[in-house]
Amino acid sequence: MLSVLIWFPILAAALVAILPRKIPANRVRLGALTLSGLVFLWNIFLLLKFDITQPGMQLQEYLPWNETLGLSYKLGVDGLSILMLLLNTLLSWIAIYSSSQQTERPRLFYSLILLVNGGTAGAFLAENLLLFFLFYELELIPFYLLISIWGGEKRAYAGIKFLLYTAVSGILILATFLGTVWLTGSSSFNYDTISTQTLSATLQIILLVGIIVGFGIKIPLVPFHTWLPDAYVEASAPIAILLGGVLAKLGTYGLLRFGMGLFPQVWSILAPTLAIWGAASAIYGTVTAIAQKDIKRMVAYSSVGHMGYILVASAASTALSLVGAVAQMVSHGIILAILFHLVGVVETKVGTRELDKLNGLMSPVRGLPLISALLVLGGMASAGIPGMTGFIAEFIIFQGSFSVFPLPTLLCVVATGLTAVYFVILLNRTCFGRLDNDLAYYPRVLWSEKIPAIILAVLIIFLGVQPTWLVRWSESTTTTMVAAIPPVEKVETRYIASLHQ
Amino acid sequence: MDFANFASQLNAVTILPEGIVMITLLGVLIVDLIVGRTSSRWIGYLAIAGLFAALGALYFLWDSTNPMSFIGAFNGDDLSIMFRGIIVLSAVVTILMSIRYIEQSGTALGEFIAILLTATLGGMFLSGASELVFIFISLETLSISSYLLTGYTKRDPRSNEAALKYLLIGASSTAVFLYGVSLLYGLSGGRTELSAIANAISIAGMSQSLGLVIALVFVIAGIGFKISAAPFHQWTPDVYEGAPTPVIAFLSVGSKAAGFALAIRLLTTAFPLVTEEWKFVFTALAVLSMVLGNVVALAQTSMKRMLAYSSIAQAGFVMIGLIAGTDAGYSSMVFYLLVYLFMNLCGFTCVILFSLRTGTDQISEYSGLYQKDPLLTLGLSISLLSLGGIPPLAGFFGKIYLFWAGWQAGQYWLVLLGLVTTVVSIYYYIRVVKMMVVKEQHEMSDAVKNYPEVSWNLPGYRPLQVGLVVTLIATSIAGILSNPLFTLVNNSIAHTQILQPTAVVSTQVSAINNQQP
Repeated sequence: MLSVLIWFPILAAALVAILPRKIPANRVRLGALTLSGLVFLWNIFLLLKFDITQPGMQLQEYLPWNETLGLSYKLGVDGLSILMLLLNTLLSWIAIYSSSQQTERPRLFYSLILLVNGGTAGAFLAENLLLFFLFYELELIPFYLLISIWGGEKRAYAGIKFLLYTAVSGILILATFLGTVWLTGSSSFNYDTISTQTLSATLQIILLVGIIVGFGIKIPLVPFHTWLPDAYVEASAPIAILLGGVLAKLGTYGLLRFGMGLFPQVWSILAPTLAIWGAASAIYGTVTAIAQKDIKRMVAYSSVGHMGYILVASAASTALSLVGAVAQMVSHGIILAILFHLVGVVETKVGTRELDKLNGLMSPVRGLPLISALLVLGGMASAGIPGMTGFIAEFIIFQGSFSVFPLPTLLCVVATGLTAVYFVILLNRTCFGRLDNDLAYYPRVLWSEKIPAIILAVLIIFLGVQPTWLVRWSESTTTTMVAAIPPVEKVETRYIASLHQ
Repeated sequence: MDFANFASQLNAVTILPEGIVMITLLGVLIVDLIVGRTSSRWIGYLAIAGLFAALGALYFLWDSTNPMSFIGAFNGDDLSIMFRGIIVLSAVVTILMSIRYIEQSGTALGEFIAILLTATLGGMFLSGASELVFIFISLETLSISSYLLTGYTKRDPRSNEAALKYLLIGASSTAVFLYGVSLLYGLSGGRTELSAIANAISIAGMSQSLGLVIALVFVIAGIGFKISAAPFHQWTPDVYEGAPTPVIAFLSVGSKAAGFALAIRLLTTAFPLVTEEWKFVFTALAVLSMVLGNVVALAQTSMKRMLAYSSIAQAGFVMIGLIAGTDAGYSSMVFYLLVYLFMNLCGFTCVILFSLRTGTDQISEYSGLYQKDPLLTLGLSISLLSLGGIPPLAGFFGKIYLFWAGWQAGQYWLVLLGLVTTVVSIYYYIRVVKMMVVKEQHEMSDAVKNYPEVSWNLPGYRPLQVGLVVTLIATSIAGILSNPLFTLVNNSIAHTQILQPTAVVSTQVSAINNQQP
């Protein structure tokens, strides 16, 4: 059942790659779209089979693979991963949909996207550390090619930078995995056979730091984020959607699954540092976004900020904050996808991304009114305006983590405020104002370009007014995860209490 | 000694594979002598048939109950069979590659194959040699054939220069090796069998003497030359650049495998008393090789030189398994050499194809190749990515196993260094992939603009295509379907007497018992 999610896209990728050369690009795109749509439907079917009351792994699959290495083909899905899988298949479909009809070298392009889709599904499903790592590294080369063949002007630089950062992240993760498995004396890399109880606290902390830094590069956390603006900005819109929507989730998912899941005892020791780190990341991301002159860069830095909230929520590790973290991963994925798609449309129609040149796109006749309206909606969702999914996720996070880390939570609230600031700047400079009479002869926006954004907008509003559909999947899993963690030292709470006395 | 006893000690069936190779060699020479140049159409296939027969004989000898033959001079245990198999396979692919290449250079194919088969023979004997003189003879057979092959295209000044350099460095390292061997002979009081040497030295109470350490270092210098470990690597880039490409394909796989076979056998049987010392020396060599090989490869502009430095680095990775010194360590070495065979030969086949069609080896000339020759692009990309350790290719599993074995043996820093240098290596491997795949139509190099129509029907191209496709498939799926290969290499190590800890302990115990009056 679950294997279909991995192998169907990979086989589809092979199929697309060997299509005859004379088939035009739009036909290849249509084929890839159909195949990817089938995967999405299968994912919906799995969602219906998913039992939300059960906290453990479901629909497990197991095949022995390589006994010597302790590598087995073990898959499973739980509340932490089910929504990530859905996000992955949905955004892959949207990425293919939002790609241009005349993509150059279409067979390679769509087969790489399908390959990435299968690999990411594998990483979310893997219950074996080495299997996870295999799928994690599988993203490396396809994304490198996707950035450096179909990217912007500085794509070669951005591609290599992405490649090296991700490779280093992989190395750190592999080293910690090897260390964890060997030091605990586990016979295999299977997730459920590893128990870190026997290790000394110092060793556990060293391993956990390896995991945090390894996944922190991918998330990305602040000092390790410098690949992100280049890669997001230089990548074409569909690739940026996949990079920000799916690949970044692999980092946060890995942090929760392998950091918190494998090292529950020391998690609370590092939690205060992580919370402050996350808050600093959030503030940094938003402040830097304010200073940008390029709308794609703004959106890229907004991603740094939003991932900071997830870190704060994971550090707090209350039942509520973890539900919020999962919800934020999903809503950030959707919101980033809509923003990148719209920015891509604006760039192709208007021909620029500069804040100083864009103006008056809201104009109903000669501007891009629907695109601007959706951009306003996306910006509001990102800034945490109630009624949309971003607000729900952020509010659950703040609610869940305030009792543990009041100060970082307050900083995050400030960051949300600042997010509103730069999105208002962005919307003000692009959508409002007057059109330049001499230059404003923009091509028409086709319906096929509007549809992905409309689907995402509907999703954003639906999950915003009916948030149960966002949170019900992960509740039982996160509750069990939290139960394994000793209560976090409430340093700041005590500090505040002492102030009162 | 009666005849039956003598024959059983001789146990000549053990060298049946080598016998077959030798007959093939003679056959090739004689056919070439009688028929002349026209035989070059089919003489390559004759040699390949002989090599496959040798492989069949190796299969027949697997797990033989009585591996010792020739009164202790040759050990046909499973370890040697694995290494002989690797060497034979690398010779098969080398012949597939060389049919067109040698023909195009205007030299004779029969002699080339004869020398190559001699080198194969030397490497095969080296894999199982367990007597000092025999080790030296097979090592020199391999070396002298390698010098001859290096300078085979004698109209090319670079080939001449490479042969001379290789001969000078090789001869001096052989001399150093021979000096070490003669010291061993003296220290052990006149023993030449490897197992007897360790015994005799420990009985004589010289287990920590200076002489033994000097002998060890000299022997390692000889081995380090063969496996091109830094700082004995200096010949590698020049020879790889100058020699005919099929020859360096063989040198990078077959000759290296023979060197590692020698290292395992010699160090574990003759030097069990100074294990700490040789592990220390090899740690230094591994660190130097990984760092130097990977860092210097970054700056290369010629494909062959880049592959030379990458092969130095790969030798550094393989040494992690040797240093680990456990069963898993040796298995991971053999496994890595096996997958290295596929990926490196696949890479070299593509390099040969490209240079046959364009006449150049510069990395920058590869730009835009994907449009003209997709199969070549795919083959070279897959093999280079596999060398860089990208999943799910064979090299990824090979590296994981090496690192896993190293980590298990507590070599944390070495494994971490290996991981870091792997990242460095990804950069220079991906550079070539970038040239071929990423570059646009207008960035195409001159060589690719004038690329000839891809045709496999020209004489000698079909075997190249077969070699490319087979090694490409092996590189792609040997990782995913690695379980049978893992079982094979693990069995080969587990069934090898000399690598079992009990064997070493019992020799030492018996030595101590003998010491007591």
